[in-house]
Amino acid sequence: MDQNSRTRRTILESLGEEIIRIITPVSICMFLVVILVSILNTNNDSSSSQSISTIATIAYTEDSSDSTWDKLKGALLNSLVFVAVVTAVTFFLVLLFYFRCTKFLKYYMGFSSFLVLAFTGGEIALLLVQDLSFPVDCVTFLLVLYNFTVVGVLAVFMSKMAIFVTQGYLVVIGMLVAYWFTLLPEWTTWVLLVAMSLYDLAAVLLPGGPLRLLVELAISRDEDIPALVYEARPVNHHDSGGGLTQRSWRRSSGDESANSGSNVGSAHLPSGSCENRAYVEEVGAAGGDSALSAPLIERRIDVQMHLAEDVVPGENLALEGIGLGSSGAIKLGLGDFIFYSVLVGRAAMYDFMTVYACYLAIIAGLGITLMLLAVYQKALPALPVSVMLGVLFYLLTRLLLEAFVVECSINLLMF
Amino acid sequence: MERSEEALPDSAGLVLPSSTITANSSANSRGPPQWPTIDGPLGLSEEDSIEYARRFFKFGFLFLPWLWALNCFYFWPVLRHSPSFPHIRPYVVRSAIGFTVFTALLGSWALTFAIGGERLFSHVWDELLMYNFADKYGLTGWI
Repeated sequence: MDQNSRTRRTILESLGEEIIRIITPVSICMFLVVILVSILNTNNDSSSSQSISTIATIAYTEDSSDSTWDKLKGALLNSLVFVAVVTAVTFFLVLLFYFRCTKFLKYYMGFSSFLVLAFTGGEIALLLVQDLSFPVDCVTFLLVLYNFTVVGVLAVFMSKMAIFVTQGYLVVIGMLVAYWFTLLPEWTTWVLLVAMSLYDLAAVLLPGGPLRLLVELAISRDEDIPALVYEARPVNHHDSGGGLTQRSWRRSSGDESANSGSNVGSAHLPSGSCENRAYVEEVGAAGGDSALSAPLIERRIDVQMHLAEDVVPGENLALEGIGLGSSGAIKLGLGDFIFYSVLVGRAAMYDFMTVYACYLAIIAGLGITLMLLAVYQKALPALPVSVMLGVLFYLLTRLLLEAFVVECSINLLMF
Repeated sequence: MERSEEALPDSAGLVLPSSTITANSSANSRGPPQWPTIDGPLGLSEEDSIEYARRFFKFGFLFLPWLWALNCFYFWPVLRHSPSFPHIRPYVVRSAIGFTVFTALLGSWALTFAIGGERLFSHVWDELLMYNFADKYGLTGWI
């Protein structure tokens, strides 16, 4: 470790900067989803009529005229089905990884991101154009969409694109999938969020959990899992003669051989030698297809298989994770992005007050998770704390805070 | 919350969040840049960059001006410092030119379409308009 005569960075600068670098994209993703939801949902307010048939609603299609108890039961059934499918697909993914089908996983990941960008992105862009009455012609629109999609697939697929571009596209993919999830019926969404966070907890921490198996497999083989994982830019440690290998931090595609902890440069980093992994797997369902996503916090494993959204039958598994890369940069799986944004998007469908409350809850949960990551130094699930806090705050705001604030404002007491 | 592991590394004391991005350019002001990509040490080496620049340039011909723009963005240090990186530079410059030309063409067509509207195109305008086009072919019903 070089000990130059330069002053040490304060803990605020190094630690704070790392945290900022992971909180910023999460916030941007949530912000974009809230904007999308507010623009696109003001016109179609009867959300019950927008029921899409997906694997998440296969057991029960919510109807606004059902009683509360029926809705709850239906939502529970839906979530159970969803979590079961996610579990099955995750085990399948573990199997594939066990048999070293890494190439297949990588291509699948590229293919699924293509589907998300092209079809879901195109759909949402089309809805925007329609709602805003934007006079764009089909040639321009299709050309721009084609550009966007192809470059997006390249950015996600190849590890050697500009970092900023890759990060940007990952955030966009998270936003698109999250918006798609907000189209589910209300009760189903909330119960699904809770169910997914419980699944995440179980899958990562229990000895038989699929994500834990995946992590251990990857550790034992010293490989990277091809996945869609957002990796923050590593902080500092770039001395002019630094021994930091150029691509030691790159984990976003699984085509590199793992340069485990043998990087000299990793010793420079405060958290460099930690091996924290968390995987997030995501499963998204669309039209019969299900994408599995399980949130995982993983430090060096990137696995992502994203499922086709609309047309293609089959399942995409997306593994994401939050963890510390070998270079000390924090990695957060795309599933975390997605479910956080779904929570905030759903809150936005009620009112902006709930949005603020849920945003604060999620950021607090993320901070707590990062703290636990630093303490425990192993794979951690990223969803449970944030989602539980978020749901709790949503309920409290909706039931208690809103009445309080509205009454105060009406009587000109506060606000 | 504190970092309990090894002491904080003595780094260059980059405070700004964008410091890692601009670290390269601060080195540039002292002399020729070391790294051809905008990511600096995290990006590609010079030998790899030539291959990538060439591939981005060639792929851009498939109606992908956005790829050309990204090529220029990624190899921005190459554009800024003329004498360095003589092998990469031609591709990046040509990508920049291609992107500008393509965008000018596309932009003028899109603007003509949007501003001209029905007066200029008569009934064809309605057919070319995206949301009508989408409705005609049933593209909006998927979600």
